[in-house]
Amino acid sequence: MKPWLFALLASLVVAVVAMADRTARADDVETPAVLFAKGAQALREGRASDAITALEELADRGTVDPAASYDRGLAYAMRVRIGAEVPGDLGRAAHGFEEARDLTHDGKLAEAASRALAVVRSEVARRRTRAGEPVEVDAGRSLSRTVSSLLAEDTWCVLAAMGSAILAIGLFVRWIARARRLRAGAGVAAGLAAPVTLLAIAMALAARHDRLEEREAVVVAHGSRPSDERGMVVPGATTLPEGARVEVVESRDTRARIRFGRLDAWVPTGAIRELARWP
Amino acid sequence: MIARPGTWLAALVVLLALVCSLDAFAQGKPQLQLQLEADTIGVGDVVHVQLGAQSSDGQPTEARLELPAGLIQRGQPSTSPTQTHININGNQMDRWGLTVDWAVQAQRVGVFTIGPASVVVGGTRFAVRGATLHVVPAGQAPLRQPPQQQAPSPFPFSPFDPWKGLIPGFGGQGFPQPDLGPPQPTPQQVTTDPKLALDAPRGALYFLHATVDKTSAVVGEQVTFSIYEYDDASDPSVEVQEDHEATTADFARQPLMRMDQNEGILAGYAAIGGRTWVVKLIQRWALFPLRAGDLVIGPKNEIVARPRSAAGPRTTETLTVHVTEPPAAGRPPGYALGDVGRFSLAAQVTPRDVDQGGAVGVHVELSGTGNVPSKIATPAREGIEWLTPEVHDQLGSIGHESFGGKRSFDYVVRLRRAGDVSLGELSLPFWDPDAKKYDVARASLGTVHVKPVANAPAASAGEPEETLPGLPPPVDKLEGEPARRAHLDDVPIFWLLGVASWPVAFGLAVGATRAGKRMSRAWSARRASPAAELKERLAAADVASEGSDARQVDAAVARALEAAAMAHAGVNVRGALGGEVAARLARAGVAEGAASRIADLLRECEMARFSPEGADVASARDRWVRARGAIRDLERRP
Repeated sequence: MKPWLFALLASLVVAVVAMADRTARADDVETPAVLFAKGAQALREGRASDAITALEELADRGTVDPAASYDRGLAYAMRVRIGAEVPGDLGRAAHGFEEARDLTHDGKLAEAASRALAVVRSEVARRRTRAGEPVEVDAGRSLSRTVSSLLAEDTWCVLAAMGSAILAIGLFVRWIARARRLRAGAGVAAGLAAPVTLLAIAMALAARHDRLEEREAVVVAHGSRPSDERGMVVPGATTLPEGARVEVVESRDTRARIRFGRLDAWVPTGAIRELARWP
Repeated sequence: MIARPGTWLAALVVLLALVCSLDAFAQGKPQLQLQLEADTIGVGDVVHVQLGAQSSDGQPTEARLELPAGLIQRGQPSTSPTQTHININGNQMDRWGLTVDWAVQAQRVGVFTIGPASVVVGGTRFAVRGATLHVVPAGQAPLRQPPQQQAPSPFPFSPFDPWKGLIPGFGGQGFPQPDLGPPQPTPQQVTTDPKLALDAPRGALYFLHATVDKTSAVVGEQVTFSIYEYDDASDPSVEVQEDHEATTADFARQPLMRMDQNEGILAGYAAIGGRTWVVKLIQRWALFPLRAGDLVIGPKNEIVARPRSAAGPRTTETLTVHVTEPPAAGRPPGYALGDVGRFSLAAQVTPRDVDQGGAVGVHVELSGTGNVPSKIATPAREGIEWLTPEVHDQLGSIGHESFGGKRSFDYVVRLRRAGDVSLGELSLPFWDPDAKKYDVARASLGTVHVKPVANAPAASAGEPEETLPGLPPPVDKLEGEPARRAHLDDVPIFWLLGVASWPVAFGLAVGATRAGKRMSRAWSARRASPAAELKERLAAADVASEGSDARQVDAAVARALEAAAMAHAGVNVRGALGGEVAARLARAGVAEGAASRIADLLRECEMARFSPEGADVASARDRWVRARGAIRDLERRP
């Protein structure tokens, strides 16, 4: 064999091997889309455990997507439905639906997640009723957070800017005007604009705090008892309902301080799962 | 043919030299022996491989064991060096020993040769041939016999009994020994183990000492907790009355010693505080931390009743183990906290053909070392119902060092769908503390052929009511991250210009107007002040003094003096007559001389202005010069 022919053949072999290796490596690492497709396929075929494995792996990789959260919730719910329930499945299902509802910008998905959440919470409430425990699964939000969530954060900002302008202009007109009616009208405008401005600023700041700082979680353990800072069970407190949405105030090692309605207590970090946010 | 005598002599000399050289070689070569704890083990099982080396030429070191693929070493080998130096009638006899124990785990089925193993003595490496190990599927290995208490030593020389086999009647193989309880050696007879030594004895004649093999672990990782008893070799007559176990509330506890070893195992001898102590391992536990944190192992308490000289409490040390959770990064889905060790799964499904609505049996064997999980997540699928399994345990200590064994789960699985039904795969994620990484034990369950039956119960038949009815369908497409947009309130300029600028502008307008008015008022007030008037009067007097009108100069000087009295002393001397000027200035605190000078100058100016003959300009200028001096004095007044 001539040397140039040998060199050419050798180069070809090396190139083919390198390409095959590269393809194999690309196949080894599944993309989020591939993992999601695997999970969704397993879900359609009734393989709840496989769906959970694929969708949890997706979450562990840091992929945040409302559709993945929603399907993950469905996978856990399916495991409950087919009678293969593992303790905490209802809570994890509720977590997936809550997360999907928070993250999505698709009205249909939000509606489906809300519907699924209602189904799961109904089941939790039914079981708690049978166990003689309080049925309240959703403690609701505080008044300030409820008010701040009435309008979008930017709407509160625009309202604050407009109120501020009206307040300043009203005061200015009242200051320089000589006509009595004009002064009175300007005074009324300023008087109305002042509280509106303060409220809008407070709500905008509250909404911003919620967006940037607030940590929320869902209870994913059955029968988790709230305790105090020393780890002693809070006297008279009932178990936290599985699937309940709680506010995480702080975390220390293996315990987290949470707020659920009027309850302010500590629970093991394993008993809750934090809701993901858009990065 | 008969050889000549000289030839025979030469051959004899050569033979003798050869024999001598071989003997010399034999003396330098250490005695090596490689032993396996068992010759047949299952996949995932751990076998202990022990190498014993004895040499009279030097301390054997750098023990090495070659392992074939399919066997891995678990943890660091346990090494016990020994030294014995005996002097009999001036003849010195030195022996050095080394015992190395490797824990080896099988990873696949096969026949393996472990070794060769080697040590270094005097700079030369000596090797011993390998031993054969048969590895069979997990759970199929024969049960191992517990080691015999009085097993014959594989080595002719014992570091604890150098006379064994040398002198008849002094014990050793072939000589029956009466049961004398714990050995009562004399200091000259025993070899102490530095690893058993402590800084100081923890009590007279008898004390306890506790150790853990690690001070940090993850939740579920085995921590080996050992309690040793130290008896003074010279006075073994100690009677212990009360005994309280060590407390390990934050750990799951499994014994690593058999029931028949409750009297303890001789661990060796220790030299502490100039005395020789017999050290016995009396308790060894595998502790599995139940939670993260600094977990405390409480002391074991005993009370020595006799002899009275040594009576009193004896306790072990209080130990702390720092426990964390295994890392979250790379944690496989389905990992349960506490599943730590090295495990393998095997499963059998029978039968493979069944009628719709019938059941198959799934026998699952989970084997390995560590905190063997008590549950396995079954693959949940629609139409397949896994009933609660029957669980059988064959767990216990493995070679006094680790805990493990086999746990089997027998499931009954009902199949409600017809066709070739895939049962899926069993998987058990766990944290491997030796490899410091997650691993997953898997066992594929394969497919079961389910024959359709016309009147078979439907998948939901028998259910009192449907659980979670009305769940919406799944979605098939990722939504994707929405376009990121900045919020108005994230930009500081919004707060500055959008919200704060209006009130600030109004405030500035009001403030500026008020400030302007205030400045205007201040300016006017400043213009009418005595100081301003004095300044004007001085300037006017200067101008007048340069002119030729003496009356004008005197008038200007008088006004300047009056203004100066007002500005510097706060006294209005305008219109004052005679001595009244000086009196008013004096009352205002002006020095008498300065007051008199000003009064005199005012009087002179008055007289010159209204004198009929008039005054000359030169004297008027002189008065102005003197007046300026008086004004400066007034100005400098304290």
